[in-house]
Amino acid sequence: MADTACVIGKGIQIRGNLSGSGDLVVEGRLEGHVALEDHVVVEEVGTVVADIDTRELTINGKMSGNISASGRVSISSTATMIGDVRAPRVVIEDGARFRGTIEMDVPLPNDI
Amino acid sequence: MVDTVQSTIIGPSIVIRANLQGDEDLTVLGRVEGTINLTKTVNVAESGVVKADLTVRNAIVSGVVVGNITASDSVEITEAGRMVGDIRAPRVIIVDGARFRGTVDMGDLDAPRASGPLPARTVSSRSAAPIKGALPARGEVAKAKPLPPPMARPAPVKSAPLAAKPAAPATKPAVEAVTVPAAPIAAKKKIKKKVVVKKKGE
Amino acid sequence: MANTVIGSSIVIDGEITGDEDLVIQGTVKGKIQLKESLYVESSGVVEADIETQNIEVSGQVTGNVTASDKVELKSECRMVGDIKAPRILIADGASFKGNVDMDV
Repeated sequence: MADTACVIGKGIQIRGNLSGSGDLVVEGRLEGHVALEDHVVVEEVGTVVADIDTRELTINGKMSGNISASGRVSISSTATMIGDVRAPRVVIEDGARFRGTIEMDVPLPNDI
Repeated sequence: MVDTVQSTIIGPSIVIRANLQGDEDLTVLGRVEGTINLTKTVNVAESGVVKADLTVRNAIVSGVVVGNITASDSVEITEAGRMVGDIRAPRVIIVDGARFRGTVDMGDLDAPRASGPLPARTVSSRSAAPIKGALPARGEVAKAKPLPPPMARPAPVKSAPLAAKPAAPATKPAVEAVTVPAAPIAAKKKIKKKVVVKKKGE
Repeated sequence: MANTVIGSSIVIDGEITGDEDLVIQGTVKGKIQLKESLYVESSGVVEADIETQNIEVSGQVTGNVTASDKVELKSECRMVGDIKAPRILIADGASFKGNVDMDV
């Protein structure tokens, strides 16, 4: 758990680039680009139109953009997401709405 | 569970290079190359390897699938599943631990969210129809390592265990650009400045 | 010990190989190569050349059968094709047309 967190509240809209370390919780609207080292959460009421580069990402709301994560990306049951995801772990929960590409490393048997 | 329901099982040492079609559930413990067209559920068990395009009602992938899946109902890639290919289905679940590379298309994203039960993951056993005359005893259908029944998925981490979010941004790290909190923003909607979130004392 | 069962609504057009028993209740066209026993049940329809250890036919087979051990044609079966096996059993009522070669 990071000791710092940034919350973009429900009534806030940001257009720009966010970078640094710490957790980010989006309850409002964020457009632009995010490069954060820790955990980004797009809450159910949040909207993100941005490419995100982070460690871990949890999408409960709306997102449009490409994701590059070093940890886990979770597209939860209330999420609506359009975009490409590159991460070692991606979870799509039952009920999620998603359209895009997912790239995980997939080990296949030699004789495939 | 499905002893009375018709279903086909392809055992672990079987290799099928063919176009396969049918109106019943299919469990693959062996290898299938070609195409699979089913009006029911295909279950690729952990030992299963499918190198084929699948057109089915439901697909459950616990083994290896290289090929595209088009499902009229649902596709689930379980924690043991590995898939390379495109998925087109209104309901798609990728469980933590699954490995997947490809496109996911759920169609109309404004359609109501999925609900209701998913097809069971367990490998179905099958009782073959009795044949007249003595046959060598068949014994139990060997099951692949049984998967746990679908259980309630652990509650997702909705928001990371962050520090309590106070109403005022007083305890937040200093934010360079000033943003207007809480009050509805009429005119001042976009903040064009570059926003950098820094830790205090950095 | 049967593990693989091809159900009655299944149609397979291609090749099947394996090291275990196979029960066919559906339709298979093409080629079957098995190291164990093949059971073509009464609803089964096979249009294929078959190579197996044992075969028991209660359904329909069109194709040549080579068995290393035994071929058994049950009473309601219909088979058209040549059989090559050291042991052959054809039940009363079976319908069979083809050559038989027991000198394997």
